This record gives sequence, C-alpha cells and structure tokens, in this order.
Amino acid sequence: MPESSLSISTSCILSLEMPYSEQLCIRRTVYRGGDGPRAAIVAGIHGDELEGLYVCQLLADWLEQLGRDNPAGLAGTVELYPAMNPLGLDTLTRAIPVFDTDLNRNFPGGSSGDLPKRIAHAAMENLAGAALVIDIHASNIYLREIPQVRINTDFADSLVPMAQRLNLDLIWLHGAMTVLEATIAHSLNSIGTPCLVVEMGVGMRITPDYCRQLMSGILTLWKDLGVLAPDVELPPLNHLPLIADDSNVHYLNAPTSGLFVPVIEHWADVRKGQLLGNIVSPLQGGVLAEVRSPVDGILFTLREYPLVYEGSLMARVMARKGRLS
Amino acid sequence: MSSRDLVLMTAPLREDFTIPCHEIGPMAPPVVSFVSGLHGDEINGIYILARLADFLKSVESGAYPKLRLVQRVLIIPAVNVLGANTLRRAWPFDQSDQNRMFPGNQMGETTQRIAYTVLEATKKSTYRVDLHSSNLYFEELPQVRIYDPTPEEQENARLFGLSAIMERSVSPVFTTTLMYSWKYWPGQNFLLQVGQAGSIQLPHCQQVFRGLVSFLGRIGVLEGVEVAEADQEALYFTRECSVRIYADRAGMFVSDKNLGGWVTKGQELGYIYDSFNGNVRTKVVAPAAGLLTGIRRQPMLFEGDLLVRICTKGG
Repeated sequence: MPESSLSISTSCILSLEMPYSEQLCIRRTVYRGGDGPRAAIVAGIHGDELEGLYVCQLLADWLEQLGRDNPAGLAGTVELYPAMNPLGLDTLTRAIPVFDTDLNRNFPGGSSGDLPKRIAHAAMENLAGAALVIDIHASNIYLREIPQVRINTDFADSLVPMAQRLNLDLIWLHGAMTVLEATIAHSLNSIGTPCLVVEMGVGMRITPDYCRQLMSGILTLWKDLGVLAPDVELPPLNHLPLIADDSNVHYLNAPTSGLFVPVIEHWADVRKGQLLGNIVSPLQGGVLAEVRSPVDGILFTLREYPLVYEGSLMARVMARKGRLS
Repeated sequence: MSSRDLVLMTAPLREDFTIPCHEIGPMAPPVVSFVSGLHGDEINGIYILARLADFLKSVESGAYPKLRLVQRVLIIPAVNVLGANTLRRAWPFDQSDQNRMFPGNQMGETTQRIAYTVLEATKKSTYRVDLHSSNLYFEELPQVRIYDPTPEEQENARLFGLSAIMERSVSPVFTTTLMYSWKYWPGQNFLLQVGQAGSIQLPHCQQVFRGLVSFLGRIGVLEGVEVAEADQEALYFTRECSVRIYADRAGMFVSDKNLGGWVTKGQELGYIYDSFNGNVRTKVVAPAAGLLTGIRRQPMLFEGDLLVRICTKGG
C-alpha cells in the first residue's frame, strides 16, 4: 500500500460578531485524503435535533481510526458540519434564536442580509460541488421516527439509488411542496449537488442504534462514490428500505385532547383495527379516545411527547407496498 | 347573536378551547371580514379589532344616531387565542406559525384545523382585511399592503386613509399564509401592518381605527360616516421605492427618530455602539430622501440586521 497521509483540520466557514462581545463561528472539520470526490455531513440545522451530532462524532472517530490504520483508505475528502445552528443548540431552540426563524427555510440565503441568510449562504458556498451531502435531522421533540430518507419527487431518479444504499428502513417520497424550496436539500439538489435528507429518532435525544445504523450506510455510500478506497473494510448492510409516498401513508391525528399513552412499541407491524394507544384525561379516569390503526401496515412514526391537543399527530402507519429491490 | 365561537375544541387540561368572533350587522353573509392575532404577540391588531367590535355594536344599538350599519361585518380579534394569552407569537403548544398553516385541513393538525375554519368563515366576504404588527424588534408605520394587487385593490387601498400603501409581490415562500389563500377567492384583500409586536402603540392604533371606520364608510357598509376629503393623501410605494439600511456592524442600535417623518439624504438616523465599550461604531445616515416607514426598536444587533426602511417618493 502506498504511503499516504490523512489530514484533519477544523475551521470556521462563517465568523460573525455578535451584539455583545462574542463571536459566532460555524465550524466544520475536514478530513482530507486523496484526490477523490468530496462528501459532506450536515447536522444541527434545528437546535433541538441531536441525532446528527452523534453521527458526526461516530464518523469522526471512524475517520481518525482510518487515519491511523489505513490513511490511504480515504481516497477523497470528508467534511463534517455538526452544528449549523450553534445558537439554537446553545439555547435548546429549534429555530435560530433572536431571529425566530427556521434555518431550513432560509436557503439559499445571501452573502449580505441577516444571520440566517448568511449561514445558509456560507453553507451553500462550501457544499456546492460535493459528490454527496447528507443532511441529518431528528424529527422534533413530539414524534419519534424510524431511520428514513425523505426525497422530493423532483429529484427521485437520481437520489433513490443512493438512498437505497444508506442502510435505512424507509424511503419516503414527497410531492413538490413550495415551502420546502427554501430547504438546504432542495437548494443543493437544484444546483446539481446531490443531497439526501435523513430523519430519525426524536428531538433532544440520541438513539445510538439508529446512529450506528446510519453510519454503516454512509460509509457504504462513500465507498460507492469513491470517497473511500475499494480496499476499506466496512460493516455489512443489514437494512433494506421500504418505500412510502402519499398513497400509502396514513396520518393519525388526535380526535380529542388529553394524554396519549401508547400500548405498542414504536416500529411494529400492525393490523387494521389494532389498538395503538389511548387518549386519557389526567382529570378523570377512563379513556377519552382509542387510537386504532386504519390499515394493515407498519407503525413508523409514534408520538414521543404525550400531551395532545385535538389534531395533534400521534402516529403514522404505512400500508405495505413492498420493498425496493 | 353577535358573538359566537368560530372554533370549539377540547383542551387537554382545562375547559374547551374556543376562537370567538363578532358578527355585527344585518343577518346575511358578512361583506367584510377582519382578522388579527394570527400571531399572538401582535397586540395592536387585537386591540384595534376589539375596539372596532365595541364601536360597531354601539352603532347597532343606536348609540350613534347618525350612523347605520347596513351590511354584516365579521371580526376575529385574535385567531391565536392561546398565544395571545401567553404572549407568544407562535401557537404555543407546538410552536407552529398559525399564518403558515393555510389553507388548513379539517382533519389535520390543530393549527391546520384552525386555519381551515378561519378561511371558511372569511373567504366569501367581498373585503378581507388581515391586521399584523411586524415583530418584537421592528416598528412599522401603519400601512396597507397589497400583494400582486388587482386594480380594485390598488384603488381601494386608499380608502383606509393611511399615509402609506405598499405594493408587494406574493412570494412563493408565503403560499401557506391566509393572504395567499384569500387570493384564490373573488373579492379584495388587504393586509394592514401596524407598529410593533409586544405592546400597543396608541397613536398608530387610533389612526388605524379611524382608517377602518372610514373604510367601512367609503365602501358603503357603514352609512353616515363623515370622511374628510382632505384626509392625508396616501403615498403609493412599489417594492422599488423601498430603501433599506442594514447594520454594517454588530452592536447596539439607538435612534431617537419617529416613524412617518420625511428624511433628507445624509440625515443622521441613529448610531451603532459597541455594546461592551460604548464606542460609536457607525453613524447611520439616510442614503436617500424619503418617508421613514420602518425602524428597528430592539437594539441588540447582528451584522446584517435591518435597521431602517425609507420609502422614496415616486421611486
């Protein structure tokens, strides 16, 4: 094996003065190996989503180990951006504090303008041209999700083949929604930089099993793309995705308000009419409403935060449609 | 009955949740619908519409012998009731923006159900008016905003008697707002932007209250309103007339300027100070002559924050 080196550096892609004394910095770590393609991981766009931060840590560990054992194994470059919304992470806020805006509705941003636009712009400038960007989200504090890729149907042809290699359990194809045009994924895909959006777990928590599962998929995809050398040994893939779209996903919204108490584990096969949980009132005994599956299928979203208002989403069930081969 | 519940929903831990509205005037579908408080912290609109409801009820009961309400008016002072009660902009329970939930869904999320009901109640009115108040940081001169307007909307925006009319195009980012949903229906749509969220700026509110009464008079809903033709002439500003000044440095922005005045090119509008050592970092001056229509009131600045908006005449 030829002698080679793997360099690791951390830098700011955007540095900005804050109102009082401090400096805001959006950090990334770059693992530079050979001349092969460049891949990036983005996380922490929402300040209450931490699953992606842990995936970045796992990948950083793995790359450092690679640097020690097989530095030539990194044929290209890897960039990790674990905290795109550092102020949100600082303050346990989903949006960007002060600006009260969802960073993922501010793309592609601009070089001047307010902080959200500048962060978006800096991200676009640095990510454009990558062979693949993976943007990792963690649902929100209300809902738990199985590991999944969400793809806008506009880009399905090019993205689904890659998503199938991510070792996740679901690929969810979404119709074009205008408001989502302002997301990082839509903006990157629109300029020809492939971006996959991963949703998994739940806000303000980490689910280590999901993170390790995704890590295996990311490494596989990096090897497919030539970011990693062919001789690098990887853990085998052990998950095949189901496919969901508007035709087979059923939403269960609360018919009344109360405390939603599930009677089933997340991510289970369910039968039509099966009891998934109850809405109960803390003020009195008894059950206010039963929550039953509308179809035979798989429970892939389950409410984590128990209090519900009328209309709150409690679960999503996917009718079986078969696996992608 | 002049007040009713537009929405009746259960709440997890307290009495049922309602969005009350006023329906005032002869029994018929409402010709005008007024909506405010989609954002719970936009209090000017809530105050103005609550006072308007009180005034129109007094008219109806004969307290103003010269005035007669000849068509029905729907008034929803606060859509985001829970936000108004807890001083939150968003729907407090899940932090969603009620004005990004339209056209809504009868069987969807709580805020989608509310949006659906509000749209159903208002969409068939001939005139629809949504009142807003910027946010906690920025103060807006009371103004009428019209989005990709029809000629009728361009003409009738003047009937509010406010000093500024701002024409805007509908942004694809805002397809989920009430205004956007309204535009699918025959009729005229106006958005009034009034002051700053979080408090009441009484002069602005008084001006807009008079504007709403004069609007109702001029469209023939409220008979007997004396409208002085000498009311200030509305200035019509397209997007191109808008000159914005952004912060070139972080720090504290302090200004003693009030909205609604004319500024000259080069006039001092305020200062950005270093908020640790107090040094002046930037003297903010007007880059063009025009009407001061918006100013930042929350002083703590990031670089790039909007400080001031000036609208140039005939720009």
